[in-house]
Amino acid sequence: MSSAIVMHGLTKDYGSGHGLFNLDLEVAESEVFGFLGPNGAGKTTTIRLLMGVIHASAGSATIFGLDCDRESVAVKRDVGYLPGELPQFGGMRGSEVVTYLGGMRGGIDTARVKELSARLELDLGRRFREYSRGNKQKLGLVLAFMHRPRLLILDEPTGGLDPLNQQTFHHLVGEVKASGTTVFLSSHVLSEVEETCSRVGIIRDGRLVSDMTMDKVHELRFHEVVIEFGGDVPEAAVRAATGVEDVAVDGLRLTCTVHGGFDPLLAAISAHTVVDMVSREPSLETLFLSYYKQ
Amino acid sequence: MSARLLLRLHRIGLIAMAYFSIFYVLVNSAAFPIIAGKTRAAQEAFGHSVTVLGATFAWLLPLPVRPDTAAGYLQWRGYGFFAIVFAVWGLFSACGAVRRDEDRGLVESWLSSGVSRLRLLATRSIFFAALSAEIVTLAGVAGWLGCLIAGTPADVAGLVGESAALWALTLACFGIGLVVAQLVGDFRAAASAGGVVLLLMFLLDSIGRSSVHRAPFTDISVFFLFNQSNAVAPGGSFDLVATVLLFAVCAVATVAAAAAFVRRDIGSGLIRQRPRGATEVHEASTNPLLRIPVIRGLWIRRIGAVGWTVGMAVAAAAVVLLVNATATFFATTPSLSSYLRGLAGNVHTVLLALIWLSFAQALVAILSITTVSRWSGDDSSGVLEMQLAEPLPRWRVLAERATELTVTVTVASFVAMAVILALAPAEAIAVDIGNLLIATALLIPFALTFAAVGAVLAGWRPRVAVVVLSTIAAISYLVFELGPLFKWPSWADNLSVFQLYGTPLITPVFVGGLIAMLAIVIVGFGSAGVVLARRDVAA
Repeated sequence: MSSAIVMHGLTKDYGSGHGLFNLDLEVAESEVFGFLGPNGAGKTTTIRLLMGVIHASAGSATIFGLDCDRESVAVKRDVGYLPGELPQFGGMRGSEVVTYLGGMRGGIDTARVKELSARLELDLGRRFREYSRGNKQKLGLVLAFMHRPRLLILDEPTGGLDPLNQQTFHHLVGEVKASGTTVFLSSHVLSEVEETCSRVGIIRDGRLVSDMTMDKVHELRFHEVVIEFGGDVPEAAVRAATGVEDVAVDGLRLTCTVHGGFDPLLAAISAHTVVDMVSREPSLETLFLSYYKQ
Repeated sequence: MSARLLLRLHRIGLIAMAYFSIFYVLVNSAAFPIIAGKTRAAQEAFGHSVTVLGATFAWLLPLPVRPDTAAGYLQWRGYGFFAIVFAVWGLFSACGAVRRDEDRGLVESWLSSGVSRLRLLATRSIFFAALSAEIVTLAGVAGWLGCLIAGTPADVAGLVGESAALWALTLACFGIGLVVAQLVGDFRAAASAGGVVLLLMFLLDSIGRSSVHRAPFTDISVFFLFNQSNAVAPGGSFDLVATVLLFAVCAVATVAAAAAFVRRDIGSGLIRQRPRGATEVHEASTNPLLRIPVIRGLWIRRIGAVGWTVGMAVAAAAVVLLVNATATFFATTPSLSSYLRGLAGNVHTVLLALIWLSFAQALVAILSITTVSRWSGDDSSGVLEMQLAEPLPRWRVLAERATELTVTVTVASFVAMAVILALAPAEAIAVDIGNLLIATALLIPFALTFAAVGAVLAGWRPRVAVVVLSTIAAISYLVFELGPLFKWPSWADNLSVFQLYGTPLITPVFVGGLIAMLAIVIVGFGSAGVVLARRDVAA
């Protein structure tokens, strides 16, 4: 399979250790690639380098074999882009923003615009300044998807979207993937990329620290679990359960971390009365710390 | 809210008003002996002419008092005109402080940080009061200095009193702006409604001043209250009661605005618009203009473009209608009539050329600076990044920007020219259509000269582009206006961009100046293209 995106030693040095350093990464055509990292890790810098809005200090990036810097105009013919934050379009209506930016591209697929805005429940008749954060994000998604690009570059695409629209977004990504579109999306939420991506790259302090398939990610991820018991706390059984670590007991409350599936833990506590049970996904930063501790 | 942030939010008004007021006051005081003559007899004759002219201009400015002195002339030309400029500044600053900052989400952010609405409004008002006090003081100091240079020192107490009245007027208009901005939902509506209120007040005072019989209710105009003081002029007076009333207008309006601010929802006005119908729209706009390069930008900014066109047309009409009165004034003023005799051609045509074209130059320069300000804003707001996310080369974005400005300047200038051609015959002013066409056409490279310099600055350092370009324009205008009066060497005069334009209505086209302007335009936009291509956007 040929590559949609290739980055070789891509570097953007802002000084004082800030920026992106020596990034080597390939994304295959029709792949949905998740670019994960905490805030300030260098995700947006990478995306802006791919879009040719900023210039690399060293290294290179290509999209469909075209240099992102020198041939950025040709690159963008094939790319749909969602920035981290849409600019203020003031009193323009959503429909006008679509036509204005679509006009710059040379044409608008009106049927596609209609389909996307209907699915995302976005009223294009309202003025931009009246849009909530979620509606602005929906408009950004319409702008990115509307010309059926070969590659979608999306910077934190579900920010501000409610769970229903997040589902719609996941369906949209699934559909475009099925039609052969490549997707490169950044996020700092692991569960978001789990829904859509087949591979992830993890970036931290401007450096790629891991590039792995989703299977590997599933192995990596864990949950922080808090269980409130009605009577005896089966501490020994829980400690003995496979994949359960960091067990601590405070009165009738037990906390632990669970790697892999929940079955061993559930089996260990099945004979006891459970009053409450909460499972939380750790932050990406916690996940990394745990990963590197290993 | 830090003082630095507030200063940044008010920076354009601050810079523009500081430059304008200092320059305007200095010119109208320091240059008095050159305009009026150096002997007492010449100055008395000048004063008499100004008194006659002042009666013609009574609808615009208060009647002059002792215009045979530098201080009296400063009172009439300087502080009389300041009333309009400072009132507009106060109004727009208030509308911007409420509406623009709300549109940007700043108000929501401040309120969510624990600042109360009353404290927010009070902070903005106190900051503007301090800022306007500084500008008014600077203008006063410049006036004192100008009169000193003119050889007739102004009364310091009079200057302080007049400055206090001007400050009170500015704050009263700021208060009115605060109230109006609470009523409506966006900046444009607030500025328009506030503008109508100010215009009505101005007309009320204007009618009261220029009518034989005192019109009723003129006293309620803030302009009337301000014009009760003329303390800079020798023999003039400072009306403490009227000034206190202006402060009272400000206080009452600010309290009313605070009450409205507490009641209303953030993001909307106290007067709510009827909600849109329930039908959702899922289609892209069918407006074909949004798809055509250059036209799409003009369409989006159509209200601004129409505003500039109408503004220049009205200014052109006013100049034509005032040429005859001004000609009489010049003819009866020895120092000025000798200046006019030095120039070839019909006196009316010469005056039209001198007044209109210098005015038009200033207007298109301001249009260029505001356009450059938008270019800089497009970068920081992310609009440029969105444009570049489309398959558009960077040079094309620059070319579209330049073409859009060219079209706006062309339309506004030629509409103003048409107004002059339509009104001139009725005022018995002979205008050579060919020369007027050339003079109007030359405004285009003149405007693009500023834009080209601005494009380089906006590409290189977007944040300082407006400040640097405004400084260049202000110094250029200062050199252009003061050079001939103070008989500066020609090399100094030619440093001014305004000088490059020449006086095409009464003298042949200044070919050297035109070549220089075209060179700046080509090199400027060429360099801007290189800078834009090389630099990082939104970084």
